[in-house]
Amino acid sequence: MSDLDDLRSAVRGLLTTHAPVRAQLHDDPSVWKRLTAEMGLMSLPSEGMPFSYVCAVLEETGRVLLRAPYLSSVVAAAALHQLGDTTYAPGLADGSITAALALDGRLDQVVDGAGASILLLADGDDLLVVEDFTAEPLEPMDRTRPQARVDLTRPGQRLGTSSHARNLQYVALASESVGAAQRVVELTVEHLRVREQFGRPLGSFQALRHRVADLTVAVEAATSSAWYAARAVSASPEADLPVAAPLAKAVTADAFVRVAGESIQLHGGIGFTWEHDAHLYFKRAWTTSLMHGDSRTLRRLAFQRAGQ
Amino acid sequence: MTFRKEVRTWLAEHLVGEFAPLVGTGGPGREHEHVELRTAWEQELGRGGWIGLGWPTDVGGRGASIEDQVTFHEEYAKAGGPARIGHMGEQLAGPTIIAFGTQEHKDRFLPGILAGTELWCQGYSEPGAGSDLAAVRTRAELRAGAWHVSGQKVWTSLAHLADWCFVIARTDPGSVRHRGLSFLLVPMDQPGVEVRPIVQLTGTSEFNEVFFDDAVTPAENVVGEPGDGWRVAMGLLAFERGISTLGQQVGFTREYDEVLALARSNGTFEAFEERLVDTWAGLQVLKHQALRTLDSDASSSTGVEANVNKLLWAPWHQKLGELAMAVAGPPSTLVSPEGLSPLQNLFLFTRSDTIYGGSSEVQRNVIAERHWKLPKDRP
Repeated sequence: MSDLDDLRSAVRGLLTTHAPVRAQLHDDPSVWKRLTAEMGLMSLPSEGMPFSYVCAVLEETGRVLLRAPYLSSVVAAAALHQLGDTTYAPGLADGSITAALALDGRLDQVVDGAGASILLLADGDDLLVVEDFTAEPLEPMDRTRPQARVDLTRPGQRLGTSSHARNLQYVALASESVGAAQRVVELTVEHLRVREQFGRPLGSFQALRHRVADLTVAVEAATSSAWYAARAVSASPEADLPVAAPLAKAVTADAFVRVAGESIQLHGGIGFTWEHDAHLYFKRAWTTSLMHGDSRTLRRLAFQRAGQ
Repeated sequence: MTFRKEVRTWLAEHLVGEFAPLVGTGGPGREHEHVELRTAWEQELGRGGWIGLGWPTDVGGRGASIEDQVTFHEEYAKAGGPARIGHMGEQLAGPTIIAFGTQEHKDRFLPGILAGTELWCQGYSEPGAGSDLAAVRTRAELRAGAWHVSGQKVWTSLAHLADWCFVIARTDPGSVRHRGLSFLLVPMDQPGVEVRPIVQLTGTSEFNEVFFDDAVTPAENVVGEPGDGWRVAMGLLAFERGISTLGQQVGFTREYDEVLALARSNGTFEAFEERLVDTWAGLQVLKHQALRTLDSDASSSTGVEANVNKLLWAPWHQKLGELAMAVAGPPSTLVSPEGLSPLQNLFLFTRSDTIYGGSSEVQRNVIAERHWKLPKDRP
C-alpha cells in the first residue's frame, strides 16, 4: 500500500509542478522526459510490476488530463511484455520511443498517432505491430488528447491475439477517467466553498450539497469498478478481466461524463468560459466515452462474457 | 480444512432436518416468517460458535479476520441461511457493549448474545425523531437505584421477540439535541413496556411501536457515562465497514437471477434487455464497491464508505423491484391467495430501503458535511 501511495504522490508532485492542466494544450517534450527518464514510469511493465501500479500512475495523469502519450505507450508496453516481446520493450521502457493504439481497428482516428514509433493494431482477433506508417494530425475538440489519421506504408507483423491488449486499454482508460473525475469533483466542491451568493457560500445550499453527494457516490462506484478491474489484470486475467475490463470502462466513462457536465453547471457562468478548466475535463470525458467502445455496447459485452 | 470449507460443511450438516424449512426465509419484508424456528436456529448457530465471529476472543468471540467474516456471510447466504433473528444483538448491542461497556456489562450480556438465547432490539427512532435522531424525547430518570423510562419508540424491528432493548433516552431534563442523552439497556418483559406491530404497505408487520410507561432497568444498565449516550450510539458507526454487505449481495444476485429467468421464460427479455444489462452491471459495481471498502490496501478512505454504499445499494435494489414488476407485466398486479410473491414483496418492501437506517437524504447530508466539510444548511 505504501509503495503505491508513494508512487502516486511522487507522480502527483511532478505533474502539479511541471504539467498542470493548462499546460496540456500544447506539446512539451520535457514532461515526457521527466515521466520516463527521471521517474522511470514507462518501465513498470517490463520490470514486471502489477498493472495496478500503472493504473495508479494513470489516475494521476488523468487528474491533469496529461497530453503526453503515457496511456497509449504503457498499454502497448504491457501488452508486448505479456507477449514476450523483446524488440520494442527497451525503447518503450526508457521512453525513447512511444506507441499508439488502434485496438478498435480504426485508422482514421488514432490517439497519439503522430509522433508514435509503433502502432498496435487490432485486425479482428489478431494483434499486429506496425512500424511503417504515416500520421496526419487532426484537430480534436479535446485539445489535450491528440488524434491523427494513420496510413500504413507496409503491413504490420502479427504478434498474437488482440483481446488482452484491448482489455488493458479499457482498464487504463478507466483508471485515467477515475482520476479525472475525482479531480473534477474536488474542483467543484472548492468552488462551492468559496463562491458566495445570497450572502452565503453556495455549498451551504442543500440542493447543491445533495448533488455533490450524488457525484461523490458515482465517482466512488467508478473508482471501485476501476480498482477491481486493475486487480483482475494480475489476479484473474483469463476469467475475470474480460468481464471487469469493459464494464469498468463503461462505468467510469459514464461517471466522468456525468460529473464533468454537472461541474460546468455547478460552476455557473465561470464554468462556461474558455479560461476555466471545466470544459477541458468535459471534452476529455466525452472523448473517452465516445471512443474505444460506447458504454451501452461495453456493458452488454461484459454481460455476455459473464455468461448471463 | 479451509475456513470456507468449514463454514460450508457445518451449514450443510445443520441447515437440514428440523431447520430445512428455514432456507431462504426471513429478511427485509419477510421478518414475520418462522420466527420460533429461527430463534432455535440462532441458538444452533451459537452452539456451533458462529455468533460473534469478529468479536475479540477475550469476550468469547472468535477474533476472525475480515476475510473470514466475509467468507462466512457469503457461504451463509449461498446456503440460503435464514435472516438472523439475533443480528441486533450480534451487530449492534454486542459491539457497543464491547467498545463502551464495563466488565460487568460484558459478563452479563455478551454470553446471551453469543448463545442466541437473548435477543435484542434497537430503541432509536421516535415519532418526532426519525432522520433527526437527536430530537429524541423519551426520558429516563434515576430513582432509588433504577432508571425509570417513559416515551415512545417506533420502527423497532423484532421488538415483539426481543428480551432487551437498547434505548437512547434523555436523562438530563431540559437538555437539548445531542447532549444529555444516555444509552440504556432495558428489559422488554415487564409491565411498563408495550409492543404494538405496525402494518406496513406490504400488509405484513415486522416493525413495531414500543411504548415505555415507567419501565425500569437497574442503574448499572447504562453504557458509557450518563449523558454521553449520543457518542456511544454513534461510536458504532465508526466500526461499520459493511462486512455483511457481501452476504447481502448474494441475496441480491439470487433476486436478480430470478428476474432474469422470468424475462427469459416469459418472452420479455428483448424488450427489457437494456435494463436487465444495466441492472446486472449495477450489481457488479456493488460487489466491487464492497470489496474495495473491505480491502485495507485500497487507498483513499473517504470515511463515508457506509453512506456511499447505502446510496448505491438502496436505489439499485428499489429499481430491481420495479424491473421485476415490469418484466412480470400485468399479472404482477394481482395477489394470489398465498399472499405476495417474493418479487412482489421485493417491489413493495424496497420502498423502505431508501428510508430506514438513515434516509438517502440524510446520507447525502453526511457525505457533504463529513467528507467534503461543506458548511451546514442553516443560517
